[in-house]
Amino acid sequence: MKQEEERLTSGQVGSIVKMLGLTTDREFNCTECLQNVSEFAESQLAGKPVTEIIARVEQHLALCPECSEEYDALRKILQAGQ
Amino acid sequence: MAHTEIDWPATLRATDSVEQAAAVRELRDVLQTGLRVALNGRSDVSEAHLEDFTQEGVVRILARLDQFQGRSKFTTWAQAIALNVAFTELRRKRWQDVSLDALMADGERMTEPGMIADNALGADEDRMRLVAVLRQAIENDLTPKQRAAIMGELREMPFDQIVELLGTSRSAAYKMLHDARRALKQRLHEAGITGADIQNAFSL
Ligand SMILES: [Zn+2]
Repeated sequence: MKQEEERLTSGQVGSIVKMLGLTTDREFNCTECLQNVSEFAESQLAGKPVTEIIARVEQHLALCPECSEEYDALRKILQAGQ
Repeated sequence: MAHTEIDWPATLRATDSVEQAAAVRELRDVLQTGLRVALNGRSDVSEAHLEDFTQEGVVRILARLDQFQGRSKFTTWAQAIALNVAFTELRRKRWQDVSLDALMADGERMTEPGMIADNALGADEDRMRLVAVLRQAIENDLTPKQRAAIMGELREMPFDQIVELLGTSRSAAYKMLHDARRALKQRLHEAGITGADIQNAFSL
């Protein structure tokens, strides 16, 4: 592990608090996010209204850096294909 | 987008047909083109990697055709899966030498007195109090594995790696983290710290 810093940085403590602010009782996990992210990506590009599924994908992406990284890549592909 | 007319799932399911073989080739091209765009400029991705990710993506997609519900284009759904294959592998390689012991020890460091500074979010009274409540909740309400998983996330360790080290499933690990977040949030709530306080605290 990268342990060069003895204590957590302000940014890391802020991340924990931010995660708590975004936490809801019912959330998508990464598998559910992957299952629905294509619909989310297309609806974002088309500027469609937010459905419950879309909202859950958005909430997961805000919490999960990995799904978010993959979503950014998917957007890049969709934009290149337009 | 010349191929939006293809009924991809049906064609890919038609075993032993010429159409099926052609559709697999077409899917492979679509995925590889997409991966090339997405991973363009990364020094840790070679042509051979692109081939591997494409191939593994095709296998994964064919195995999951039943999960496609038609709520997006098939190719968008397929790209998302191929990207997941590629990024999962790339993340795994960066972190493959970390052990469970190291992760657990890192998690336990969260309970050390100096680990979270009193003024980590700022020196005013409300923020100091939020940090104090948070620190106490991390110590009292989380299991060692929950602390380890949170530290792994803060270190930007891939979730798959955390899952593997903890010897659990992806969904169990996600639930464990979700339960941890809910427990901490509940403590803040009990201490009278509202969503607005939280917003205020992290928008430094
Ligand atoms: Zn995720």
